[in-house]
Amino acid sequence: MTALSPDVVALRRRRSRRRSEMLQLSATLPALLWFLVFTIGPLVSLFYFSTVNWRGLIAPRTPAGFENFVRLAGDPVVWLATGNTILQLVVTLPIVVVGAFMIAYYLNLKPRGHRFVRALMFTPVLLSASALAMVFIGVFAPKGMINGFLEILGLEQLARPWLANGDSAMLSIIIVTIWCSMSVSAIMLAARLNSIDASVFEAAEIDGCGHFRRMWSIAWPMCREFVGVVTMLQFLWTLFSSAAVVLLLTKGGPGNATATLSFLVYDFAFNQSKVGYSQAVAVVLFVVGVVGILVIRRAFRQKY
Amino acid sequence: MTTTLEAPAPSRTTASAPRSTPRRRTRGGALARTGPSKYFAHAGVWLYVILLAAPLYYLLISAFKRNTDIFNQPFSPFTPLTLDNFGLAFSQASLGTALLNSAYITIGAEVLTLALAVPAAFALARAKGSLGQMVERIFALGFLIPGFAALVPTVLLSIAMHLFHTREFLILFLPASAMPLTVILLTQAMRAVPAELEESAVLDGAGPLRVLWSVYVPLAVPTLTVVAILNFLSFWNEYFFSLVIIGPEATLRTAQVALPTLSIANAAQYGVLAAGILITLIPAYLVYAVFAEKMENAVLAGALKG
Repeated sequence: MTALSPDVVALRRRRSRRRSEMLQLSATLPALLWFLVFTIGPLVSLFYFSTVNWRGLIAPRTPAGFENFVRLAGDPVVWLATGNTILQLVVTLPIVVVGAFMIAYYLNLKPRGHRFVRALMFTPVLLSASALAMVFIGVFAPKGMINGFLEILGLEQLARPWLANGDSAMLSIIIVTIWCSMSVSAIMLAARLNSIDASVFEAAEIDGCGHFRRMWSIAWPMCREFVGVVTMLQFLWTLFSSAAVVLLLTKGGPGNATATLSFLVYDFAFNQSKVGYSQAVAVVLFVVGVVGILVIRRAFRQKY
Repeated sequence: MTTTLEAPAPSRTTASAPRSTPRRRTRGGALARTGPSKYFAHAGVWLYVILLAAPLYYLLISAFKRNTDIFNQPFSPFTPLTLDNFGLAFSQASLGTALLNSAYITIGAEVLTLALAVPAAFALARAKGSLGQMVERIFALGFLIPGFAALVPTVLLSIAMHLFHTREFLILFLPASAMPLTVILLTQAMRAVPAELEESAVLDGAGPLRVLWSVYVPLAVPTLTVVAILNFLSFWNEYFFSLVIIGPEATLRTAQVALPTLSIANAAQYGVLAAGILITLIPAYLVYAVFAEKMENAVLAGALKG
């Protein structure tokens, strides 16, 4: 073998390093395969299924092009569900994020009893979607907690079957969403606030900053990016996971008063035998989710 | 004001390890030094605490009450106590079988998750090239994929695999949903393993498997616990996929699917339902009681990387 120029040696070395890297990374193949088969695969086929006409899981499917999406645009139920989803997001997100931030700031001042409050706030994390919904069946029942409380106050005229009443059903769903997610967001934000150097707040205090200004002019901008992460999680949770709450508390009713987009994905596919059509809704939902994430990420970009 | 904003920005990683700041405080915490506005803050937060606690309190006492007492004295803890609700919940929803099914799926999925994720994280932590970065990015992308959107195609996949209406499909499927977070957190933990340790192990003649098992895994135990807790919670509490894939068959369904059947069977009796909720909560609470501190870190870690 003749002597090789340094370039060729370097190239060979790079190649062999690359080969050994590939060998090493072969250990990631099973995990990647799992990810591909059970996560990416279903997601990609979602787009195909949204373009077929298909009445049941075992019925034959026929191609339908964009027919499902055209039908979608003219379907009053879908519009109603879109309105409900928007209402849910518009009410839930600001209340949860701002409320959780204020609670987190309060907890971080370590007032008396903050340990107890923290432990209590952790409970909703442990509740599954079905346990959560079942807790609130008792709360909203005609003879449940809220009506019982109103009776004690002598306000019987305000009592109503909260979930069976078209006016209050969506409000009830939103209350459940806020109840179970505010505390988790607050715990996460409290941990982030705790990592801010205490001297920052002390300096502000010496400069005569009250808690209100310290909270909104210092803590908020410093946590901006993390607040964005919390908002993003809350957004995804509200958009997708609340379907279980709707299904178990109201089944979308009364009428379609509490149908949300994610609930319709389930309802069309499994109760109404419109599988292809339900996948069109799922595509819309997925796009809304991705766009929402990008918008939130942009809105909460760190500004310094 | 400007000086405070120029203070060095804390890095994101410090948030996952909250440290206690030594600060002189008057009794009652930092709020005690401010004016009357502090009463609004206290009142506001405690009002929130009451709203948070009320449904939980109602749940807890109702589980031990007779039905007529739930209606007549909804908030009193001094009515005659009974344990009948628990027995009824067990028999009406066959909760015993359901809990076993849940345990089977949770443990199976947990083992499979770690079996897949540990080698992957090991390889990613040691990979130096661009290929490793790419693979890591693929997993990171998984955070942005909401699994729920693919509910129906997942059902079809289970049919295609001849595993529809089986618990085994969930054991196979759930690890995929947990993979991104598990791999990323474990990779970060394993990257912190000092290279000298590995080198000395290799000098002693250890192969890659031995290095993984005797050097990396022991040092990654804290993170392994964190991901195991996170996955336990999400597997145990999984509802929608269990509902549509395993179905309502009483011998196969999970505890989370069995629980709502109590509300249909007992439309007017909250007591039995409340008892059922408490029963399905016990495993999660046990884990919480044992790992309280770790668990809070786990949830935080999940959020920070998400």
